[in-house]
Amino acid sequence: MSDDTDLTTSTDIEPPPLPVTENETAAPAEPVGRIDLAMLDEMSRVDPALFEQNHQDPPFSRQVMTTPLHFYVASESLTNLWCNWNGYSVAERLTSIDDEYATLRHSAVMTDISPLVKYRISGPDALTWLRRLVTGNLVSLSVDEITPVVFCEDRGHVVGDGLLFRLGAAEFRLVTEEAHLAWLLDSAIGHNVRIEDVSATLAAVSLQGPLSCAALAAAGLSGIENLRPYTAHWFDLMGMPVYVSRSGTSGDLGYELWVEPDDAPALWLRLLDKGRSFGVKAGGFALREIARVEAGIARAGVDYIGAFSAIDPQTAMTPYELGFSSLVDLEGEHFTGRDALRRVHARDPRHILATVAIDWHEPLRFTAIRDATGLAGLATSTVFSPALGCNLAMAILQPHAISSSTVLHVEAEIREELSLRLIHAPAHIIAGAALMLPARHLVPAPLTIRG
Amino acid sequence: MSLSDRHFDAIVIGAGHNGLIAASYLAKAGRRVLLLEASTRLGGALTTAEVSPDYRVSTAAHLLDALPRRIEKDLKLARHGLRYAKRTVQTIALDHDLNHITLSSKRSDLDILRRHSPADAAAYPRFAARMKSYAGVLGPLLQDMLPAGAPEPLSRRLRRLIWRAERLGSETLEDLMRQLPGSIGDMLDDAFETPLLKGALALDAVIGTGEGPYSAGTALNAITRKGLRSISNGPHIVEGGLGGFTDALSAAAASFGVIIRAATDVKRILIVDGMVRGVETQSGDVYEAPLVLSSAHPRETMLGMVGAKYLDAGLVKQLTEIVDTGATAKLNLSLDGLPTIQGLSPQEYGARFLITPSLASLDGAYAAFKHGGFATDLPLEMTIPSVTDAPLAPPGQHVMSIVIQYVPYQATGGWEGSRDRLVDHVIETLSEFAPDLRDRIVAGELMLPQDFERKFGLVNGGWYHGDMRLDQLLTSRPAPGLARFSTPLRGLYLCGAGSHPGGGICGLPGEYAARLALSEGVRA
Repeated sequence: MSDDTDLTTSTDIEPPPLPVTENETAAPAEPVGRIDLAMLDEMSRVDPALFEQNHQDPPFSRQVMTTPLHFYVASESLTNLWCNWNGYSVAERLTSIDDEYATLRHSAVMTDISPLVKYRISGPDALTWLRRLVTGNLVSLSVDEITPVVFCEDRGHVVGDGLLFRLGAAEFRLVTEEAHLAWLLDSAIGHNVRIEDVSATLAAVSLQGPLSCAALAAAGLSGIENLRPYTAHWFDLMGMPVYVSRSGTSGDLGYELWVEPDDAPALWLRLLDKGRSFGVKAGGFALREIARVEAGIARAGVDYIGAFSAIDPQTAMTPYELGFSSLVDLEGEHFTGRDALRRVHARDPRHILATVAIDWHEPLRFTAIRDATGLAGLATSTVFSPALGCNLAMAILQPHAISSSTVLHVEAEIREELSLRLIHAPAHIIAGAALMLPARHLVPAPLTIRG
Repeated sequence: MSLSDRHFDAIVIGAGHNGLIAASYLAKAGRRVLLLEASTRLGGALTTAEVSPDYRVSTAAHLLDALPRRIEKDLKLARHGLRYAKRTVQTIALDHDLNHITLSSKRSDLDILRRHSPADAAAYPRFAARMKSYAGVLGPLLQDMLPAGAPEPLSRRLRRLIWRAERLGSETLEDLMRQLPGSIGDMLDDAFETPLLKGALALDAVIGTGEGPYSAGTALNAITRKGLRSISNGPHIVEGGLGGFTDALSAAAASFGVIIRAATDVKRILIVDGMVRGVETQSGDVYEAPLVLSSAHPRETMLGMVGAKYLDAGLVKQLTEIVDTGATAKLNLSLDGLPTIQGLSPQEYGARFLITPSLASLDGAYAAFKHGGFATDLPLEMTIPSVTDAPLAPPGQHVMSIVIQYVPYQATGGWEGSRDRLVDHVIETLSEFAPDLRDRIVAGELMLPQDFERKFGLVNGGWYHGDMRLDQLLTSRPAPGLARFSTPLRGLYLCGAGSHPGGGICGLPGEYAARLALSEGVRA
C-alpha cells in the first residue's frame, strides 16, 4: 500500500516543473530583469494537501498542528507571521495591527479560533456532573443557551474557565482555553457521563465587530439579528449545518460559528466573499489579544495559572481573586471546592486580577506595576489599545494596590536607535472592562452601523 | 411504626466491633442510638461459628491484639461477659530441629535461642528494647486522636513527637528515622543471624498485609504493631473465640440502650444542604438523625452511600485510590484429639505459633503471591484455642485456627481446583511439626480472601479497610481529605478501621469518632 502513497506524496511536495523551453537553454544571454509573472505565480502556488490534517495520525504524532483553515488564513497573510496557540500555528498578524484593529471596531474581523479546546459532554448524568464541576448555578441553562463557567479543585483554586453550551437535554459543549481532560475524567468518577475532546473535529470561526451581524445576514443566515447574547442557533448555510453563537471576546457585537472541519473552508470563503462589501477582513491572534484585554477577559495560562499547573500553591487563585465572583453560587447545589470557597470568600483576597490603564501614547513593555513603596503587582498581559490611546494591562495586584489612595505607575525603557529613554508612566485601575460597546447587548442586533 | 421509631439522635452503620463501640459510647453519653447491620449477625469479621457440629472457632480473626483497657472499662465489657481464656499469649516459632524459639527475653527462652546462635541470644533483648523505644515514640501518635487538619496543632503534635524521641537519646531518633521507611527484612538482617528467628519476626510484621518482608515501610508495620499491642499487652485469646468479644460488645451496647437492627442494609445516607439527615435502607425505610457514624469501608460509605455528587472531585479520586490488599486466608479445623507437636512441652500448646523457616522462604512465598499464585511452604500463624478454652470442642477434642499468609485474592487460573491444593499444602506444612495432624482432622473450612469479602464486606479480602501502609496512616488515613473521622458533610463521621489509627481490633476508631461526634454535637 505504501508504494503509491509515498509516490503521491513525494510528487505533491515537488514544486510544479518549470516550463523548460529551448529558448532558455539556447539563449542564456537574456536580460535578468525580465520576469515571467505567470511562471512565478505558478511556482508560488501552495498545495493545500500540505496543510491538511491527517486524522488517522494520533494527536501526539505531530508537534506543530494546523487548523482546518490554515491554508485559507495563510492566503490572507501579508506578513507570514505565525504564533503558537495551544500547539496550533495561527496567524499572529495578517496585515498590520492598526488596520486589523480599525476593521474590528468599524466593520468586523474574522478569526480562526479552532485551537480552542472543546469538550462534548453527554450522558444521563451530564447535567449532574456539570453542576458538580462548575461553581455557578446551571439550573436556568436551557438548550441553545451559553454561560461562562469557572471550575475549581477541592481547595477552591481555579482549574480553568470557559464557555458552556447546552446543545440538548443531556448534551453540552465546554469550550476552554487550556486542556482539562484529566481533571474532567477524574471528576466524572461516580457519574454516568461521556466526555470527549472534540477539539480536532470541530472548527470554529469568530466574527466580531459592529457589522458582524450584517455580514452574517448577507452571507445567508437569515434572522441572525434576533439571536440574543449568550444564545446559539443552528443555521443552514449552503447545505452546511452551522452552529452560530452570539459570543466572543471583543467586548462588541460578535458571533462564533462552529462547523465540521470539512465545511470550515467553505464557510470561511463565503464569509470573506459576502463580507467584503461591509469591509470584513481576516484578523490574527494579536488582535484577539488586544480586544480581550480591552474587554477585561482573563486568559487561562497567561493571566492566571490553573490550580494543577501552579508549582507554588500560593500562585493558584480563587474565583474571587480573578473577578469571577458572579460565576460562583455558594448557596446552590454542591460543587467541587464549595466548602473551601465558603471558607475563603469572607477572607481578604491574597491578590486581585484587574485591568490597569497606563497613560502612555505608544506601546510599552513592562512587567512591574509599582507604587510609592515598591512592587504593587505584576502585569500578565500588556497591549496597546488604539481605541483608548493608552497601554492596557491585565495585572495581578496586591490587595492594597486596589485602594483609591494608592498611586500606581510603571517604569519602561524605550530604545531609539542608540539612545535609551526611561519612562515613568502613571497607571490606574479600571473597574470592569475598559471597553464594552452597547451593540454587544442590543436585540435585534444592528444590521448597519448606527442606523 | 411510631414517630419515635424513626427519629434518633444518632445512627451507626455497621455492627462490627468499631460500630458497636461507637454506638455504645454515644448511648452512654445519653444519645438515642440506632445501630444498623447489613448482615444477620453482629460483629463483622469477629465471629465464632461452627466448623462442624459442636466444634466452634473464630471464623476469621482469632486473637485480640490491642483493645485498650479504657474501652474495656468504659463499656463494662467484663460485666457483659468478656472473659479471656489466656492473656498475653506467647509466640513460638516452630523449628524443624525441634528447638522452637519463644519470642521473649526470658532467660529460659533465650537459652533455647542460644542453641541457634549465641550472638542472637545476646542481641534479642537489645532488639526488643529498641523496638519498645520506637513504639514508645510512635505509640502516642497512634493512640492519640489525631490533630485536626489545621496546621498549628499538627506541628505542635510533631514537636512533641520529636521532643519525646529526643528524650530517648539522639541515637534512637536517628535510628528511627533511618528505620521507618525501610523494610523489616533489612532491619532483621542487620540484627540477627538465625533464619528461623528472622522469619518469625518478619512474619509477625507483615501478617495480614500484602507486603513482602523486604517491602519498603514494613519496618514501620512492625513498630506500629508493637505500639498497638503494647496498648493492652496483647495478643489475648478470648473465651468463646472472638464471637465472645462481639457478644460482650453487643450486650454492652444493648445495656446502654442502643437499638440494634440486624439484616438492615443501608442503601444511602440522606444529605440535605451538606448536612446529614439520616439513612435510607434497602427496603426503603427512612431513619432520621442529625448524626450518622459509619464503620463501613470509607469508600463504600462516601461513594456508595453518600454519592460522588455531594463530594469534591479530588476527594472522590482519593477515595478510589485507597488500596486494599487481601493476602490472607484462614483454615479452621475440627480435630478428634490434640495433635502432637514434637518438641513442645504440654503447657506450650496454648501459644500462638508462627511457621516460616526463614526470611528467604517468606520472601519466596511473597513472590509467588505477587504473581497470583501461592507457595508450597506458606507462612502460617496457628493457634489451638480449645487448649485454653475447652468448651469450643467436645471433651478431649480440639479446634485449630490457622491464618495463611500470602494467599492472593485472585489466583492465576481461578480458585476452582486450587482450594484443595492450598489446604493440602497447609496441612503438609503443619504435618512436618505435628505428624499425626492429618489423621485427627474431622472437618475443616477454608476462608479465602474472596470469602472474607463476600461474608464480611472486606474489600478484596483486605483486613483493615485500607492497607496499613506508610502512605495510608495517620493524617493520610483513610485519605488526606478525610483524616480525623469527620467528613465534609456535617454530622457524618467515619468510625471504622479505615480511620485513624486503623485496623487490628483496637476499637479506637469507634471510640474516637464517637467522642468527636459528641464534642462537635455540643457545639452545633
